[in-house]
Parts: sequence; structure tokens; C-alpha cells
Amino acid sequence: MNEARGYRYRSGPLVWALVIAGTCLVLFLFQKILWLVLPFLLAVVIYYLLLPMQEHLVLRGVSRAHATNLVSLGAFGVLVGGMALAFPWLAAHAVGWQESAMRYLQGGLFFVVQALYQLEGRFDMLADAHVSTEFVRQVAELIDSFASKYLGPLAVGVAAWTPLFLLSPFIAYFMLRDGSAFRHFLIRAVPNAFFERTLYLFDQVDRTARLYFQGLLALTLLDALCLAAGLWWLGVSAPLLLGVVTAVLAWIPYVGSVLGCLLVVLVAATDFPEVPQVAYGAIALFIVVRILDDFLFMPMTVGRSLKLHPLLTVVMIFVGGAVAGISGLMLVLPVLGVIMVLGETIGQVLDDPRLMARHLHARQLRQAVVSRDLY
Amino acid sequence: MFKFFQARRGDENPPLRSCCLFSALPARDIQIVQGFLHARHYQAGEVIFDEGEEGQALYILMSGQVGICRQGAENTPLAMLGPGDFFGEMAILDGAPRMAQARARSPVEVLVLFRGDFLNLMDDHARIASHIALELARQLGDRLRRTVNAQGVQP
Repeated sequence: MNEARGYRYRSGPLVWALVIAGTCLVLFLFQKILWLVLPFLLAVVIYYLLLPMQEHLVLRGVSRAHATNLVSLGAFGVLVGGMALAFPWLAAHAVGWQESAMRYLQGGLFFVVQALYQLEGRFDMLADAHVSTEFVRQVAELIDSFASKYLGPLAVGVAAWTPLFLLSPFIAYFMLRDGSAFRHFLIRAVPNAFFERTLYLFDQVDRTARLYFQGLLALTLLDALCLAAGLWWLGVSAPLLLGVVTAVLAWIPYVGSVLGCLLVVLVAATDFPEVPQVAYGAIALFIVVRILDDFLFMPMTVGRSLKLHPLLTVVMIFVGGAVAGISGLMLVLPVLGVIMVLGETIGQVLDDPRLMARHLHARQLRQAVVSRDLY
Repeated sequence: MFKFFQARRGDENPPLRSCCLFSALPARDIQIVQGFLHARHYQAGEVIFDEGEEGQALYILMSGQVGICRQGAENTPLAMLGPGDFFGEMAILDGAPRMAQARARSPVEVLVLFRGDFLNLMDDHARIASHIALELARQLGDRLRRTVNAQGVQP
């Protein structure tokens, strides 16, 4: 009996250090090619969204290529149908967008200034510092210089990124059609001794990524529904749209949540300028949904896929943000999940002298066969 | 990369039906199973899997001969397998460590069904999975009967 058997491999501190260093390195490199990484990430989300339908068709005997075409056409049809339905509404409201944006901005500012006035009335220190006056002055300066300073770069950014995101459905289509063949192609290159471990590795990476992205979509849906129900109960306008937008913004840890909360408060404060309690209620609702998200929904969906210690998760989110900014915050958990599985499996293979010996033996046998008639 | 695209054009059609595990499946289902299989080649004398290791796959022998033996006793095999036979099935049934070593006795070509793919098949395609599971059960029953008979006990 092989001595290397009979125990279960557990990654040591060296493997963990390499996993964390590898994650930081990948995030750093990803930041350099963000123009490719973000469309690719969206493509992966689309891929895992459509994969169950494609697999269902494949198991019903439809060829992979035909199943991909059918699923892609279906998704395209749903998208075009949705746009066709939304277009009349968008066309009717597009003219008033700038006006609405300014109205919501003014509503939000009014709410903040009122809150600051109330605070100044209660705390002399704030009144002495003229906090509300200073806030109004800075916001006025920002609004005056916004068009000249930020609008140009923002428009250029949108114009540059939009065509790149059109790549995503294209990438997702080929991932669906050729992903399985590509996996077989990669596995064919693996030496026989490591074959079963590699199959297991591929399966684990695929399972981790699938659970993560499908979990993320489920989490978004749960967040959106909870927020929409709460906002509807508070009487805020367009609760479903706000719920969906804030849930998608929450894909960016911390920063996205703050932006989502600001958006909800802007709308609530504008809809009910004389009743600040509604805006406070919206903030309370947002906090409740975030708590539900962190302690109930996240462990049920995304957390199940990565099986990470909560402290490590939080630390890695900060590390990701420090290494690669907002893209690091977004990408750190899936990248860590995949590198963790890779690190554990490679550690397992290198730690098993029997596998290495089998590989050397197979190479010697192959060498003997090909050189049989040479000597 | 060229080989990858080439392989897509000329999908080979391995004679899976020669394996008793798939003989009862209709052609369309065989085509589905084929999409999950990995082809591997082994030299004579090469270890396919080892006794005691964590098994992850079932092997279907397409050509050549494989000996099932205890580790270090390859000259006294417990069983010799030929084309159409399968081995390593316990790994996909209960995930237990391999009970013996499988070693190629001649150049060998096998098709491999990964445990995860088999379990997905069980979840998503009951007809194929039940055919395979039934055939696995038959084979295990047959081996048990032969073992009991060899020990001279009436089942």
C-alpha cells in the first residue's frame, strides 16, 4: 500500500501565501487589461446564465452547436422584445431626463441641507463651523464646473466602453459553443499520471465559478425584490427599477452599496420633499437589506460557492481594492476562489511523490518505445 | 490550438456500443454520453490508476489489455480485461479509494467517464443514468456471484 495514501491533503501556509500572492498578481494584471477583463466578466455572467438551458437541450439530444444557437437566439429575442416594449416609454421620457436628473439632484440636496440645518440647530459646534453654508458652496462649485470638468471625459469613456461591452455576447456565444471541446482539448495535454486530479481540478474550478456567478445573479434578484418591495411600501416612485439598479450596483463591494443608497435617498427625498421621514425610512430599509444580504442571502448564494473564512473574505476585499481599485473590489472574490482551487490541487499533486514517480515511469516507458530501434 | 479546431470538424465515433455498459442505449443517448468521455492512451506497463488513491473516473477499455492487480503484484493479476470491458466503477458509485491497481498489459486505449459528469447525468438525464446504473449493478452482481461460487458457497 502506498504510504502517501490514507490522509486527506490540507493546504499549508506556503500554499495559502502563494494563493494570496497569485490573487494580487492576477488582479494587478487584470487592472492593466481592464478593457478586456470587464467585457469578459460580463460574458462569463451571460455564459453561466444561459448554460443550464443549453445543457438541458444537449441532454435532450440536440447537438451542442444547435443548442447554443437556439439558446442564443432565445436570449437575443428576449432582449430585443424587452427593448421593443421599453422603447416607447424611453422615447416618451428621454426629453425630460435632464430635467428629471436635475430635479432629483435638487431634491437630494434640499434633503441634505435641511438635515444639516437641523443638526446645526442642535450642535453649536456645527453651527459655528457653518457646515451647511460650506456644503452648499462646494456643491454649487461642483455643479458649475461639472460640465466642463467631468462631462467630456464621461462622454468619451461611455463612447469607448460601449463597443467593448458589445463583445460580451459574442464571447459568451463561443464559450457556450466551444467551452466543452476546449476543456477536452486542454485535458488531452495533461500527462496520464495527473489526469484524474486534473479532471477533478477542472470540475472544481467550473463548479466554483458556476456557483459564484449563478449565486451572484440569485443574490441580485433577492436584493432587488426586497428593496423594490420596501420602496413600494414607502411609496417611492419606480421601486422595481430602483431595486434592480441598486442591486446591480452592489456587485461592487462597499462603493456600490454607498452609491445605491445615495440613489435611493435622492429619489425618496425628491418624491417627498416635505416628509424627510420617507428618506430616513429609505436609508433604514437599505441598511436592513444590506444586513439581510450579508448575513442571510450571501451565505445562501455566493458564500456557499467559495467556502471562505469571513475574515479572509473581508481582508481580501480590502486587499483587492488596494491593489486594483474598484475593479479589484469586484474581481477579488471570484479570482481568489479560482486560484484557491488551483493552488490546492497543484499543492496536492506536488505533495504526492507517488504521482511524480508514476509520471517519470510513464515517460521512461514512452522513451523506451520510441527509441527501441535506435540502439 | 489548430488541433482543437481540427478535432471539432472530425468528431471520431468510438464504438461505444461494444461496451456492455452502453449496449442497451439508443444511438442518440450514446451520442450524448460520448460528449462526456475523454480518450486516453497508455503504454504497456503503465499504471492507469493506483490502489488506495482517490478514484474520480470510470474507464472503458477500447483496445489493448489491462490487468487488475494488487500493488507490487502485477505478475499475478486478479483479473484481465479486454476491449469492451470497463473498470474503476466503484469510484463513481461511492467515491471510495481504489481497491486495486489497474496496469496496461499492452498499448491501451480507454475512454474515461468522470465521476462529476456521471453524477450530473444522474441528476439531469434519468434514462441514460438508469441504463448505466442498471448495467453497473448487473456487473457487480455477476462478480459477487462468481466470487461466492469460487469460494464454494451457495448464494
